Amino acid sequence: MMAGAEKFVEADNAEAIITRIEHKSRKIESLLKQNKPVEALKTALEGSSHMIRDERCKSANWIVVHRALMAIKDVEGMFSSLDPEYYDILMKYLYRGLSTGDRPTCDQCLRIHEKLTERAGLGCILRSLADTVNTI
Amino acid sequence: MASTLRLYLTCIRNTLEAAMCLQNFPCQEVERHNKPEVELKTSPELLLNPVLICRNEAEKCLIETSINSLRISLKVKQADELENILAKKFLRFLSMRAEAFQVLRRKPVQGYDISFLITNYHCEELQKQKLIDFIVQFMEDIDKEISELKMSVSTRGRLVATEFLKQF
Repeated sequence: MMAGAEKFVEADNAEAIITRIEHKSRKIESLLKQNKPVEALKTALEGSSHMIRDERCKSANWIVVHRALMAIKDVEGMFSSLDPEYYDILMKYLYRGLSTGDRPTCDQCLRIHEKLTERAGLGCILRSLADTVNTI
Repeated sequence: MASTLRLYLTCIRNTLEAAMCLQNFPCQEVERHNKPEVELKTSPELLLNPVLICRNEAEKCLIETSINSLRISLKVKQADELENILAKKFLRFLSMRAEAFQVLRRKPVQGYDISFLITNYHCEELQKQKLIDFIVQFMEDIDKEISELKMSVSTRGRLVATEFLKQF
């Protein structure tokens, strides 16, 4: 019953979600211009509501997160200011980045993955593998 | 170059350590049968998300896990036609002798060069850490082997050509 109601809300909200993502993308661009890559990444990861089922919304979200990820130069510094609540969702996006096969994306994702595993441990990886319901 | 290889292998090692949590699970459909669920994929609740780790456009590693089995498929770097042929022949040679390796799969998964299938029974008999070490070592050694083979083929070719052309 509840799942059906959610699906209804989803379809109507797809456009609203995409607008929200575009708004988020503009905010991220401005943060990057101000040389604040970590805040940009936080903004990108924040809105990634797990209830998104629509493929277009997921792709739009991924593009925004990808932009923020590639702008990160200092990985150690990023982790010192990133809250642990973002670790799980960051790991999911890292695996999505690694599956693209694009060389600069993979280089960056591999670099961040090593440091994130050191910080968050193997549990973070396992949660991203085991979560078949909220895929990214 | 070397640092990307190190990062790539570290990523695979960490993912394998997390993914290799296998337990015995008899088949749900057929009585008294025990099958590796990752191969059959009959029940979605027994499967975890498959993970694709790419180093670049040419090299990648697909790790699929389920409750009682884990499948690792590798695509090795093949820079030119010669390496392509050498890699194919060498890996086919290994796959044919899969019995001796225990964890090797006789046929690679579609789109990849070689595949490993690790079941809960392997994890009970063999040590998990050593299995992971084996896989990572295998990936390092494959590249070296193929470069060595390529070099020996070019050397032989050069020698043969020199000998042959001496008569002219």
